[in-house]
Amino acid sequence: MAIDIVPLEPLERGQLHVMRVRGAFTALVLIGLAVAAELILAERFPLPGLVAAPVLLIAIWVGLIAPSRRWRHWGYAFTGSELHVAHGWLFQVHTIVPVVRVQHIDVAQGPLQRAFGVATLVLHTAGTDASTVGLPGISRETAEDIRDSIRARIGSAQ
Amino acid sequence: MTDDSACAPGAEEPGEGPKRTAPATILIRFLKEAPSSIIGLVALLALAQRQSLGAWAVLVLLGWGVAMVLFAWLRWRSFTYEIAEGEVVIAQGLLHRSRRSIPFERIQDVSIERSPLARLLGLALVRIETGGGDKDEGKLDSVTLAEAERLRATLRGGLGRRNAAAERPASGAHPAVEEDDDADLVFATGLGRVLLAGAFNFSLIWVAAIFGVLQTFDDFIDWRGLFDAVGREVEAHSSLTELIGAAAIGIGITIGLGFVAGMARTVLRDFGFRLTHAQGRFRRTRGLLTRSEVVIDDRRIQLALLRRGLISGHLGWVGLDFQTLGGSNDTGGRQQAAPFARVKEAARVVAAAGLPRLEQPALVPVSSGHIVRAAIRHGGPLALAAGIGAIFLPPLIWLFLLLPVPVGLALLRRRNHRYGMRETSLQVMRGVLVRRCWIVPYGAVQVVSVRRGPLQRLLGTASVSVDTAGAGVAHHPNVEDLAVDDAVALARGLLERA
Repeated sequence: MAIDIVPLEPLERGQLHVMRVRGAFTALVLIGLAVAAELILAERFPLPGLVAAPVLLIAIWVGLIAPSRRWRHWGYAFTGSELHVAHGWLFQVHTIVPVVRVQHIDVAQGPLQRAFGVATLVLHTAGTDASTVGLPGISRETAEDIRDSIRARIGSAQ
Repeated sequence: MTDDSACAPGAEEPGEGPKRTAPATILIRFLKEAPSSIIGLVALLALAQRQSLGAWAVLVLLGWGVAMVLFAWLRWRSFTYEIAEGEVVIAQGLLHRSRRSIPFERIQDVSIERSPLARLLGLALVRIETGGGDKDEGKLDSVTLAEAERLRATLRGGLGRRNAAAERPASGAHPAVEEDDDADLVFATGLGRVLLAGAFNFSLIWVAAIFGVLQTFDDFIDWRGLFDAVGREVEAHSSLTELIGAAAIGIGITIGLGFVAGMARTVLRDFGFRLTHAQGRFRRTRGLLTRSEVVIDDRRIQLALLRRGLISGHLGWVGLDFQTLGGSNDTGGRQQAAPFARVKEAARVVAAAGLPRLEQPALVPVSSGHIVRAAIRHGGPLALAAGIGAIFLPPLIWLFLLLPVPVGLALLRRRNHRYGMRETSLQVMRGVLVRRCWIVPYGAVQVVSVRRGPLQRLLGTASVSVDTAGAGVAHHPNVEDLAVDDAVALARGLLERA
């Protein structure tokens, strides 16, 4: 159950793939480290799998289960006057940026994101803790549409 | 390599088209980055010489240099800026492409910096400042001086049209505000008041600092000899009453030192405190040895924060801070506006800043879930320590007798944590030992977040974080543990008034 302020839209499926690839990469690194540790400790510890077994469980979680769960808990909504970004399940955060407070806007795209056709929209405000609010995993067109309408709003509000 | 058009602006914008920075930037960047890699190269060369591999070393050196120049060129090539309609667009990044739009309306100032190297090459670094948290939000490194001046003129022109009536003082040194005769004296303290404030600033931290300084002179003072002497003294007068007397004297001296230290610090800082207000600006002078002068523009004030200490608060004294937005020459953050004032005096300063007055009786408490969470947060570690400790050392079970302390604290916390959406401002009150009240005009609310942890889901509560400009790391006007519906209503209300 999320915090119910506005109906939220899910992220693009492309971002799910991005998260899966990232998760799989982390999992592979973990497994690699665990295998190395097993080989080094093989002589001293008579119990094989003492390190690898728990790490394997963590890797399965990080690589296979967590990405889709995390993706599902992301959501966003652009109402025209504010941008809502929500994420998290155990610790839920629902961040709201009033459009009139936006100082400048980034549309960024990493190599992995580009491969799956998604982009990250970053709003900068004059705030302190939350001076940058990022929304990863929407299509480039959506990001640019939101950016353009925010820009238009800022221009007309003055 | 990525195609530039992937991030090129849409077709709707007329204008001059994206531009690159001056090519000589590559040289500057190369020269700047070269020294950091030279250390590694020197090591390499030393190694090569010993192994008589001189030719290889030269090759590696050449390859390294070429790679660095190539990289600097690629970075230069991928960085473009453009003055489009109503905004500045900065696109950058080799693999991770990013495109930043800075609307003209948000540009606070355009500054030009010239390092000696840039001066030699006729270049200048242009910073577009928007008052955002990021220092390098709009950095053009580097363009020709003529282009820099053209940019500044163009962008400042936009600035002038926007608020010609309320133009800020031109950047440069601090605006020289003469002590106007007609300036309103809003708040001032005499010596008596400063001394009184000093008495409440009792601080053992300064005693600790003094001992710290003594410690650094360790080599000069014969501590061992001193301790031995004290030891002999104790042995000589070893009757119990004398020992207790000596200890009492020691404690007395420490407290006295703390008192004097707090007094000295306060007098040095706040002696002759004067806060005047004229032409939309506060001007604060204070200090005994170094007189400091700070100018606070009304429009940079984000919120007022009233502090009420445990003892001094009961005697009717409060402290008032303004939180200000940083700018090109102004320091952002909290500025003391009235360090030790009567409630009425503080209210007058708040009114002079054009902020609404504190309406404490109208504020409502947060959910009772706050008590549960605070009690668990304060008492949890204690209960855990007592529980685990008692297994190994049974007498530790008595620690449980201390549990009413965190519970009592939690009750007080909830009693003191109140909030209210008043006519033009959000007002939040929080704290047990030091009670803080924030007056946040709705216009100063930057970002609102509603948060819930696992415990809060059980309790049916949520916290609302309110982000403002110029806030420090601590003491934000957040409202903790509201009933979920109230939290949503608060967030919605803040946004409607934003």
